[in-house]
Amino acid sequence: MNSTAMDNVKPHRRRAFSRADRTTLTAFVGIPLFFHLLLVWVPAFLTIVLSFTYWSGISISRIKWAGFANYKNIFVDTPAFWEAIQNNIIWLAWFAGIATPIGILLAYQIDRQIRGHKFYETAYYLPVVLSLAVTGIIWNFLLRPDGFVNGLFGRDIDNAISFFGNYDINIYVILTIASWRHIGYIMLLYLAGLKSVDMALREAASLDGATEWQTFKKVIFPAMKPVNVIVIVITIIESLRAFDIVYIIYGSSAGFPILGTLVFQNIAGEGASMKGAAYAVILFALSIGPIIAYLRTTFKSDVQ
Amino acid sequence: MSEVTNGISRRSVLKGAAIGGLGLAAGGSLLAGCGSDSTGALAFGARTVDAGPTAQLKALVAAYTAKTKNEVTYNATESNAFQNNLSQYLQGTPDDAFQWMAGYRMQFFAEQGLLADLTGVWDTIGDQYAESYKTAATGLDGKQYFVPQSWYPWGMHFRKSMFSDLGLSADTVTNWDEFLKMLDGMKKKGLVGFAAGDKGGWEAMGTFDILNARINGYQFHVDLLAGREKWTDAKVIDVFTHWEQLIPYMNPNVLDLEWDGAMQLLLQKKAGSMLMGSWFGGNFKEQSQADYDDLSIIPFPEINPEHGRDTVDAPIDGFCVAANGTNNAGGADFLKFAGDMEGVQAMLDAKDADGKSIPMTSANKGQDTSTYDAFQKEQLAVMDEAKYITQFLDRDTRPDFAGPVVGPAIQSWFKNPKDVNKIVDSLQAQWDALPPLA
Amino acid sequence: MSIDVELQTAAIKYKNKQKVKDRFISAFIGIFAIVWIFPIIWTVWSSLRPYKEVRANGLFSVPKVLNLSNYADAISRMDLPLYFWNTFIITVPAVFLTLFFGSLIAFVVSRYSFKWNVSLLLLFTAGNLLPAQLVFIPVFKMYITLGKAVGIPRLLYDSPWGVVLIHVAFQMGFATFVLSSYMKTVPKEISESAMVDGATVFTHYTKVMLPLLRPALASLGVLMTTWIYNDFFWALVLMSTDSKRPITSALGRLQGEFVTDYNLLAAGAVIAALPTLIVFFVLRKQFVSGLTLGSTKG
Repeated sequence: MNSTAMDNVKPHRRRAFSRADRTTLTAFVGIPLFFHLLLVWVPAFLTIVLSFTYWSGISISRIKWAGFANYKNIFVDTPAFWEAIQNNIIWLAWFAGIATPIGILLAYQIDRQIRGHKFYETAYYLPVVLSLAVTGIIWNFLLRPDGFVNGLFGRDIDNAISFFGNYDINIYVILTIASWRHIGYIMLLYLAGLKSVDMALREAASLDGATEWQTFKKVIFPAMKPVNVIVIVITIIESLRAFDIVYIIYGSSAGFPILGTLVFQNIAGEGASMKGAAYAVILFALSIGPIIAYLRTTFKSDVQ
Repeated sequence: MSEVTNGISRRSVLKGAAIGGLGLAAGGSLLAGCGSDSTGALAFGARTVDAGPTAQLKALVAAYTAKTKNEVTYNATESNAFQNNLSQYLQGTPDDAFQWMAGYRMQFFAEQGLLADLTGVWDTIGDQYAESYKTAATGLDGKQYFVPQSWYPWGMHFRKSMFSDLGLSADTVTNWDEFLKMLDGMKKKGLVGFAAGDKGGWEAMGTFDILNARINGYQFHVDLLAGREKWTDAKVIDVFTHWEQLIPYMNPNVLDLEWDGAMQLLLQKKAGSMLMGSWFGGNFKEQSQADYDDLSIIPFPEINPEHGRDTVDAPIDGFCVAANGTNNAGGADFLKFAGDMEGVQAMLDAKDADGKSIPMTSANKGQDTSTYDAFQKEQLAVMDEAKYITQFLDRDTRPDFAGPVVGPAIQSWFKNPKDVNKIVDSLQAQWDALPPLA
Repeated sequence: MSIDVELQTAAIKYKNKQKVKDRFISAFIGIFAIVWIFPIIWTVWSSLRPYKEVRANGLFSVPKVLNLSNYADAISRMDLPLYFWNTFIITVPAVFLTLFFGSLIAFVVSRYSFKWNVSLLLLFTAGNLLPAQLVFIPVFKMYITLGKAVGIPRLLYDSPWGVVLIHVAFQMGFATFVLSSYMKTVPKEISESAMVDGATVFTHYTKVMLPLLRPALASLGVLMTTWIYNDFFWALVLMSTDSKRPITSALGRLQGEFVTDYNLLAAGAVIAALPTLIVFFVLRKQFVSGLTLGSTKG
């Protein structure tokens, strides 16, 4: 933010800024930028550096260079990491293959103003508004040993179905809960996008004898490109960053390892070590791809 | 990089630190009276929100304020949240005194300079405690950082009424064969024999501790947790082999239940026995006096005659003063009161909302064991039988190993017990990969 | 003409067919919707029943007592006014500052053509998408170091302001992104005439843009409120005094305190969820458009 920056103003705005205007512009950009850099980018960079050290997170003078030891520890010695990767991949596949399409399908149907669409919209969206703490409690009500579902199956606490503890099913239980929120979110995003698609376009297509699927594929889907990008990115990012719902159910234990909880388990609490920072960096490295793809699509027109 | 070099490797000191054994001496002198100068207002952090312990702590605080006129701000945090946040808490703006545990968990933070030296407090109240408690309160540098509040043993808990229905008694469950027979009998009656929960990731550590101590002895257990023995040792695999024999008698949803879920099984008479720390007696009492009176504890049975029943996990809970607090002197003064029989008595006299007394086994010699109720007397008997006392796995080894490594390893063992070789390999590999502590 | 008629019959036929199909779809989506909100209904139902009765007669027993006593209990034991106040003093400044900062950047980026506009937008948007855990340790260290340096240990750590700032720093990215796309839909001529009139940058922002932004700010504000209201991560790691934490953390405490009395817990959960639900129902339109402002950018 100095005069050189001001010289780069495009021709039709070539107009000297007064000193006051310069100050204003500097402050307008500078103050938010300062906070954003200081609290997001600088710490992110520091964490990347810390991931190459040994440190318990307490006394700064005790930071020791570790090279790649934390990463070697994770990749070679920690089976939980590979379980977590596997779980995150299943999570992503489920979101991409099931939850997101259901959300889109719901949006598509509700958008056609079928009877009761207002109520449906609200019903599907409701879970998104609830905090995760509340969501955790609600699902615990249904699935705990003396909860609703076990009661329905006539099980008692000594022979209850182990919804959170049985590793063959718990991922699907978690994913169901996660989808409970994700579907509504996607639905609403898509619904808003659909509202901007011309109704006439759609009717014309159906009169031309196109089946509904064809209409959707050939007419609506392409018209929804900006929303599609957002939906794809949200699906990927949410699958990688997943943390809250698992933390609410399992606490800081590794009952269901995913990257997000491994970071927390290793970086916070009594046993803090920079292995947690290394996990965070791995998570960062995995999410940066979709972030860049997203930004490229969103800002393509701006760059040109 | 580090400016702290002490000549000897800190790593070897920390890894090598064994937790001193402690025995309990019953009875003893009742010393009271410690004149307090006015050290001013202070803040106290409780790591519990449970009704019973809260009533006790509030009674302690009230008695302290009444005596010294020093105001105490009482801050309570749910125990899991408190533990997960402890490192940040102690570095940031901690309360002056706070509730914590003895063992490695205390020594680790003392070594990092986050706890205040309480040697002065021990000079005053030291003679009210058995030497072993002082050992447990001592950091690696030989100074005291901890004031004990209470202890409890881990052992086999059951309901007397159910035991007699099954034709069992404490004398008939003394070794592994009898133990398996007992579990068999319970299973035939349609009961869960060995109620267990490990969703929290720490609960089953107690089972590992006691099996390891019974099979391989106290010394091996301590050496293993200090890194002087290997997890890949056949002895460790033997522990898991024995453990596997218990699985058929467990509730099938071990990984779905936390400790309180397992407790519910016993409370609702769906399970015949449970290995747990006796602290949960308070929850039985909250349920009803009859449930509490029905509760009983015996030592975990002998497996290897060479070691008998000579070891017990008996964690000590208590208090520390945070070095970063604003009133270290006030915190120490409060703990001097809390550790003194006068403060202990205030906690023992506390009543819950229904006017019932709240069970507590104090570490102070001054608590007359003849005032113990039946369940507490049994707890004392369990302690008396043991020659060696350990704290608990997550208090006896490095915090960056217990929680993030051992906990998940045991959970994945439950997932597939046949993987035991892979699991011990990875435990050892992750121990070897731990950063040097310095 | 005959083509017209043919087209019309085709349209009618299509519409009839569609009507039948719609009825099926509507029924299916309806049943699915009931299943969807059932967990919430069950929680509300549980909150109305006393725990003792459920324990004695079973989960599916016909209730003898159905009242609000769990609510009264939860309110008295949860210290609700305190926790709601804590939430309030975090959420309101955080939302306000996020919108303010976001609108400043969006204003500059969309109204003035500087070379680094796109980079700036990229930086903010990408920052918003970073995992929170990536920044947690350094932020914590900064907070306590700064607090000790100025002699006010609770300046940021264990203070609502610290939580406010981290929310602002993160959410600012989203706000910037959304508001800048919104501003691009505002005709440039409005700004240009203002500039011709010799308005300063400051008046341009306050007198011209801000009023135009009002609907977007309202929508975004509603959305941000629910996000920040529902966060528990930052309050958990950046605050150590439980009585300063927001209502979502109080729920965790309630959960720890009443491990067995699920019905009481249900009441607590409903109470904690109520403000967001009210916001959602009252301001549904703003809420929805807030969520989609950024995504419908053509």
